[in-house]
Amino acid sequence: MRRKGKSFGAGARLGAIEKRARRVGRKRREMARDRSAREIISAEDVDDMETKSNKGLPCSRRFFLKGLGAAGLSGALATLSGCKDAGKPSGGEGWTPQQYNAPGSWPVQVRGRVPIDPANPSIVRDDRKCILCGQCAEACERVQSVEGFYGLPIKNDITCVNCGQCALWCPTGAIGERDDIARVLRVIGDAKLHVIVQTAPATRIAIGEEFGMPAGSIVEGKMVAALKLLGFDRVFDTNFSADLTIMEEGTELIGRIKAAGGQHESEDHGHAPTALPQFTSCSPGWVKFCEYFYPDLLEHMSTCKSPQQMLGSVAKTYYAKKKGIDPKQIVSVSIMPCTAKKFEAARGEMNSAGALAGNPELRDVNFVLTTRELARMIKRKGIDLANLAPQPYDSLMGEGTGAAVIFAATGGVMEAAVRSGYYLLTGQNPPDALLNLTAVRGLQGVKEASLEVPGFGELRVAVASGLGNARQLLDQIRADKQAGLPPRYHFVEFMACPGGCISGGGQPKTSVPPGDWVRKERIRSIYAIDATIYKKRLSHENKEVLDLYAEYLGQPNGELAHRLLHTTYTDRSGSLTAKNKA
Amino acid sequence: MSKGVLVDMTKCFGCGACTVACKLWNEKKYDEVNKPTLGEAAQLVDINWTVVSKHDVTDQGGHAAWRFAKKQCLHCVDPACASSCLVGALRKTPEGPVVYHPDLCVGCRYCMVACPFNIPKYEWDKSFPKVSKCQMCFTRVVAGEQPACIAVCPNQVMQFGDRDQLVKTAHQRIAANKGLYIDHLFGETEVGGTAWLYLSDQPFDKLGFKTAVPQESLPAYTWQILSKLPAILLGWTAILSGIYFINKRRNAAAEGKLDRTGGPQA
Repeated sequence: MRRKGKSFGAGARLGAIEKRARRVGRKRREMARDRSAREIISAEDVDDMETKSNKGLPCSRRFFLKGLGAAGLSGALATLSGCKDAGKPSGGEGWTPQQYNAPGSWPVQVRGRVPIDPANPSIVRDDRKCILCGQCAEACERVQSVEGFYGLPIKNDITCVNCGQCALWCPTGAIGERDDIARVLRVIGDAKLHVIVQTAPATRIAIGEEFGMPAGSIVEGKMVAALKLLGFDRVFDTNFSADLTIMEEGTELIGRIKAAGGQHESEDHGHAPTALPQFTSCSPGWVKFCEYFYPDLLEHMSTCKSPQQMLGSVAKTYYAKKKGIDPKQIVSVSIMPCTAKKFEAARGEMNSAGALAGNPELRDVNFVLTTRELARMIKRKGIDLANLAPQPYDSLMGEGTGAAVIFAATGGVMEAAVRSGYYLLTGQNPPDALLNLTAVRGLQGVKEASLEVPGFGELRVAVASGLGNARQLLDQIRADKQAGLPPRYHFVEFMACPGGCISGGGQPKTSVPPGDWVRKERIRSIYAIDATIYKKRLSHENKEVLDLYAEYLGQPNGELAHRLLHTTYTDRSGSLTAKNKA
Repeated sequence: MSKGVLVDMTKCFGCGACTVACKLWNEKKYDEVNKPTLGEAAQLVDINWTVVSKHDVTDQGGHAAWRFAKKQCLHCVDPACASSCLVGALRKTPEGPVVYHPDLCVGCRYCMVACPFNIPKYEWDKSFPKVSKCQMCFTRVVAGEQPACIAVCPNQVMQFGDRDQLVKTAHQRIAANKGLYIDHLFGETEVGGTAWLYLSDQPFDKLGFKTAVPQESLPAYTWQILSKLPAILLGWTAILSGIYFINKRRNAAAEGKLDRTGGPQA
């Protein structure tokens, strides 16, 4: 195109010269008769160039005109030769533009990915990092049995239990938690607000990994010191409310067992669930899973809130009252190994403290940060976690027992409940054998145990971690229920993530895919804290919990306890078409 | 054989893997903030050759539901963009894709005006902009592979094959699932047919599709006029030339008469 354009231009220019030359020639012929023609021509209308060529160049007029004629003719022929391609595109055919010939950054294997609602409160995805490896989908379907377990077309929801296992598996870090650091920093910077923070049991054995420490490093005191350096006004321990959970959940379990045995206790709050087995309700991913896929079994779900939400509602009532702080001034932050906790804190019904104070807008827990987010905050502030001097949790809600810390591992809630349940049933502390209930420990997906409780009989329990494993137990329980069989178990613990919270979706990512080696290291540390570091191993011996009941709540499962520490569930089966197989 | 794609929009759960596959294969830039590829605000722009848009609808049971629609160039059987292109920068290939040749493009943007679905986009923020649109992974298609977006779909929403066969398959599926799909295959007859065909349980206009388009090929309209143009031009030239010569003769004759009566010649 461009070359052709040029030749056209040159041709046009040549044509003009030719014309002028012809005109000049004619004039010359006319003037030839006159001997003094040359002077007249130059004086009349021949420009400088013409004069010069006439004077010196070895190019006759005839030769010049012949040359022009030949050039014109060949130009015309060349142009006409293009007519043989008439109708065809000027670039020719049979090729594709260069940039489409080579694939771009196309990965070796592409296998799709999980759908994530852009409005998901827990997890977000950065498309720029996604390589479509499909590991998120693999985790969601094979480990958690969520993707593929609902029919298409979808309803008005992208089914997600917010567990964050996809984030843990994502090899490029494309999937991560919804980052709330900026919002937390804003409230810390506001001098009018009283910002409290709680840390989940599983964070203390994992966050060290983000600072180059070996897997399972116990950094409880250092983490507390870092949180104080970050500017939180009070640092509380979720272990405190885990012990509180055991008091509530254990009491509820005994109530259910007694009701099943025909003993009805008169409950003035009119709320006494009776279905057995009782399911634990600490894991918000599991709770949402049950709401989606097993709404018929929701009556088995303990009405107790999770420890995070218990601490949140106690902080804005009991703590606010004791310290004389307006609950509206308190901002409650929690550090969790979990992305589903962000969803849980945002659930509509999680405003007990506000509802009690006549201000339903008030959230029990305002912000949830994952362990990874806390690590980022610490790094951004330039704090070297590994070299901090350990500090203790703040009082009033800072005491925790070994029974609470083992909430972090699969089977831990069960073991803690058994320890205190034994006490609640018999009035005596459990024997040493029950303090190391190995049958419910370890990474096996589904575990069962049966123990003799004097004066009660056999207590049958089961533990499942990972929602795919939970499905096995749930299908069995559902089938038993439909067949009218007596319940197989009294108490079942479910944890959404394989291995429990220690391998939660908000925990530090490892350089290798999430494997059992790291899980085992973290679990080992959790049980080491229980067995050797903490002085108390029984929830009902937690002094601060006992104080809370004595000074504020009254009795476990009492009226106020029910308003603050218990919750309700939502049947979500209408937002998907459940399927039993992927 | 001209290839096509059958999209079953009831199967899409909106993961957007196809949009990422498109970006990876074609090396397009990402701008999820201003030019999202997923969700309500998803829009086809120069860097987004395909998007998955979210639509709030009411399902057959009368409940609120979400539907996702994968959008990209529909690769018309008889594309108006290619017909309007002065330099042949857009061409319908025998394999099916309508391919853009940036080296030939002069940037006139006639294609953007011509396209009934508003698909070709211009790289407005570049100094030397080109037109930009889905190529249906032409190099993959000629190599016998399916386009990148189809290869990555976890739900097999899209089926790649010969267009004629896909039309038959689609009608069989509509017949076999009367309660599910609406009885219309989008792209079968729209603007004379498109390579991408859509099945849905929702009216297509609810999913952001432009349904008010002619049911026949757009170049066919202009062809009715353009095909007659050489004859008209030549004929008109001949007529005008004829009139000129007749007038000239008549004038000459009239002048001659005038000369004879007016006096002796100079």
